[in-house]
Amino acid sequence: MASLSPPEEAAAAAAASFHHRRSKRYSSSTTNGLAAESVPDKRHKISLPPSFISSSEIESEFSHHDPPFARINNGSFGSCPSSVIAAQRDWQLRFLRQPDRFFFDELKPNISASRAAIKRLINAEHDDEVSLVDNATTAAAIVLQQTAWAFREGRFDRGDAVVMLHYAFGSVKKSVEAYVSRSGGEVIEVQLPFPVNSAEEIVNRFRTGLALGKANGRKVRLALIDHVTSMPSVVIPIKELVKICRDEGVDQVFVDAAHGIGCVDVDMKEIGADFYTSNLHKWFFAPPSVAFLYCKRSGAGGNLHHPVVSHEYGNGLAVESTWVGTRDYSAQLVVPSILEFVNRFEGGIDGIKKRNHESVIEMGEMLVKSWGTQLGCPPEMCASMVMVGLPVSLGVSSESDAVRLRNLLRERFCIEIPTYFRPPGEGETDSITGYVRISYQVYNKPEEYHRLKDAINELVRDGFKCSSLTD
Amino acid sequence: MAADDRRNGDLTNHNHRDPKKPRLSEFLTESDIRSEFAHHHTGVARVNNGSFGCCPSSVLDAQREWQLRFLRQPDEFYFNGLRRGLLASRTVISSLINADDVDEVSLVDNATTAAAIVLQRVGRCFSEGRYQKEDTVVMFHCAFQSVKKSIQAYVTRVGGSTVEVRLPFPVSSNDEIVSAFREGLKKGRANGRTVRLAIIDHITSMPCVLMPVRELVNVCREEGVEEVFVDAAHAIGSVKVDVKEIGADYYVSNLHKWFFCPPSIAFFYCRKRSSEPDVHHPVVSHEFGNGLAIESAWIGTRDYSSQLVVPSVMNFVSRFEGGIDGIMERNHDEAVRMGLMLCGAWGTNLGSPPEMCVAMVMIGLPSKLCVESDEDAAKLRSYLRVHRSVEVPVYFLGLRDGEEGVKDKDSGVITAYVRISRQVYNETEDYERLRDAITELVKDQMTCQNLPPV
Repeated sequence: MASLSPPEEAAAAAAASFHHRRSKRYSSSTTNGLAAESVPDKRHKISLPPSFISSSEIESEFSHHDPPFARINNGSFGSCPSSVIAAQRDWQLRFLRQPDRFFFDELKPNISASRAAIKRLINAEHDDEVSLVDNATTAAAIVLQQTAWAFREGRFDRGDAVVMLHYAFGSVKKSVEAYVSRSGGEVIEVQLPFPVNSAEEIVNRFRTGLALGKANGRKVRLALIDHVTSMPSVVIPIKELVKICRDEGVDQVFVDAAHGIGCVDVDMKEIGADFYTSNLHKWFFAPPSVAFLYCKRSGAGGNLHHPVVSHEYGNGLAVESTWVGTRDYSAQLVVPSILEFVNRFEGGIDGIKKRNHESVIEMGEMLVKSWGTQLGCPPEMCASMVMVGLPVSLGVSSESDAVRLRNLLRERFCIEIPTYFRPPGEGETDSITGYVRISYQVYNKPEEYHRLKDAINELVRDGFKCSSLTD
Repeated sequence: MAADDRRNGDLTNHNHRDPKKPRLSEFLTESDIRSEFAHHHTGVARVNNGSFGCCPSSVLDAQREWQLRFLRQPDEFYFNGLRRGLLASRTVISSLINADDVDEVSLVDNATTAAAIVLQRVGRCFSEGRYQKEDTVVMFHCAFQSVKKSIQAYVTRVGGSTVEVRLPFPVSSNDEIVSAFREGLKKGRANGRTVRLAIIDHITSMPCVLMPVRELVNVCREEGVEEVFVDAAHAIGSVKVDVKEIGADYYVSNLHKWFFCPPSIAFFYCRKRSSEPDVHHPVVSHEFGNGLAIESAWIGTRDYSSQLVVPSVMNFVSRFEGGIDGIMERNHDEAVRMGLMLCGAWGTNLGSPPEMCVAMVMIGLPSKLCVESDEDAAKLRSYLRVHRSVEVPVYFLGLRDGEEGVKDKDSGVITAYVRISRQVYNETEDYERLRDAITELVKDQMTCQNLPPV
């Protein structure tokens, strides 16, 4: 191929080697399973615009998605482009080919490479601070197990508090029950408003919750805060809340950012938490499943351990997590391949985040206009997901109504979207009790949201009521 | 050979085919088998199935279909496909191992995870005052390192004590093991303590021996041990597994070692009891409290595909004469045959008699190699991998004071063993390559001290 001036050369070389890698099968002549970058011919200099990924290439990367579906729920299970899946297959094959050699020579250094890449992405201080685990659920168990030990071993007093958001993810609440309540800690849930109008509302409620935690001379040992709540979905003003925790003498702050990386800005030094976890398979194009758990070295977080204890026990969480028995670690090894993928987009991951946000707001406002409802929060409190109110006439009056409506949308209209029941407040009449949570990721298209708009409008026109649904 | 004694101490019950009947065409041919394992590195004599197992391409293809199903429409898969698929795998396993109820069978990643589950439970009993400080956990000294660390993390940390029973090795009979174990239990009970948990390997890893697990569990019951956990990482696909007969409270086995599953999947059997079992998956999800089997079926978003292919594995093994029983028998017979070939060539010994082996055999290395430490053993292993393309684990046998050890044909003490495995993809040449590598080292007067660097 013709030679190019340096910046274009890099982009074109990346694109060329990407295409080469996609069609190549693993062979032992490569290092790290990746072909050497193709070297452009330096004899002719031609300027070409940077070759960003095209729409049809994006379609092709996600062609394994079920075609009839309007897949507007990236938030639940994420997505993974075929080039990253192919990279993952390469890693899986390397293990299967000669597992002992892979275990002794290749696994650890390549997990380290993934961790180093993440450390740079999230602005952590040291690689040691970054551990790779399966998902935020696992990270929560790790942090909460540490809290349980502190209660059991008397470093925390019985009745000391752990403060969390009422909208914390269901699994995390159960984890708090299993580890904190069981070992003698007291759990305080902070009720947040929804719909919400400003970050200030959340800050104020949180202050109140924290004060409750400290009542009667109790110590608040851990604050467990979502960066982006799941249901209902709102971006929490995390920097402010962490600061309040510091001001109020909370021992440790653990941020559950399952929806963090690839969705919101994830800067560990800026946010300042002791522990921070985010799934990479939700918004960062990793295959299921991989998450990072960041543990500030200088922080109050002492002795964290992976609950599945291996021979690496005692070598620090990051090293313990590199070996939890024989398993498929391939999802943890593809981070460099993911970076190649996102850098084919204009602005890289930041560009993707920005465009996802703009698109989801645009789609949300389109829906609100058509249905005569409202968004669950202002645009600046959304990232790439937004809660959109459903027409009151649908009569969503319980969680099971919401679930059945979701099933109906899937089965009759081939639309995948999570639904949320918001119980009416005291004295509220005719309030919006049903919301959908729309997501926007690079593979989405406006038609999908129009299909949702039309489906709901059709139900409204037909006089549909949730009470007519059975399981 | 006392073939009948080797499985749970029972008679084997595989089908005997009339040798005059022609083989049915549906069975895999040798070339079919080579094709199923074509992804293995062809240059390597892979005689270490025991460490990481293997997976045939037809099962890998089935796994890929499951993975694609999730990627295609994950919500639909989560709500409508996943649990049903997991239940199908659990049902197959439950019937294979003769469990009473499929609820007793949970799927976890590996034996390491199951050990954490059991030991966390024991730890809670200590923390919450149900067990007294210094009450004991008894295990064999060769228990897998991860298990030992898990005991440290969960039991020792909260005041429990441990007793390690030294496994006699080389070993000649089950009685030696049973006696040593009884002594260990006595120690565990000394000074009014209670033995709260006995951890027994069904097949030890290093050194590798098939243990008389049913007898050992009986001894535990006789001696008032509260609970018995059988770590049978290597068992399923290696030896017949009947959990009711074995009678343990907890039993775990990896399916990715000898049962052709991709990494990774293990079944964890917890015998049903009248009281609340209080075993939980450490990764707590919204399923917490619904029983371990249900808790383990959802521990957050992950790739569960390796847990979904068990029915496909059954299809695969049914394409072998005698199914999994036939595979186990032939693997054992061939492993022993190769073991005898090697110890004959090297003038050494087997670590245990054939009836105390499964598809893995320990063979003494010539004393002239001078393996004098674990580091030497690791060095030799790396040398064999890099310079001879032989993948085989090497075990250093540290002799204690006063122990004489077994001598080889050169009248030197045998201080190290290799553990060979035999699985359906292995060929005689693999073991001949190992034989020749060692023989040549000895001929060239190489020792662990002067091996070339890797």
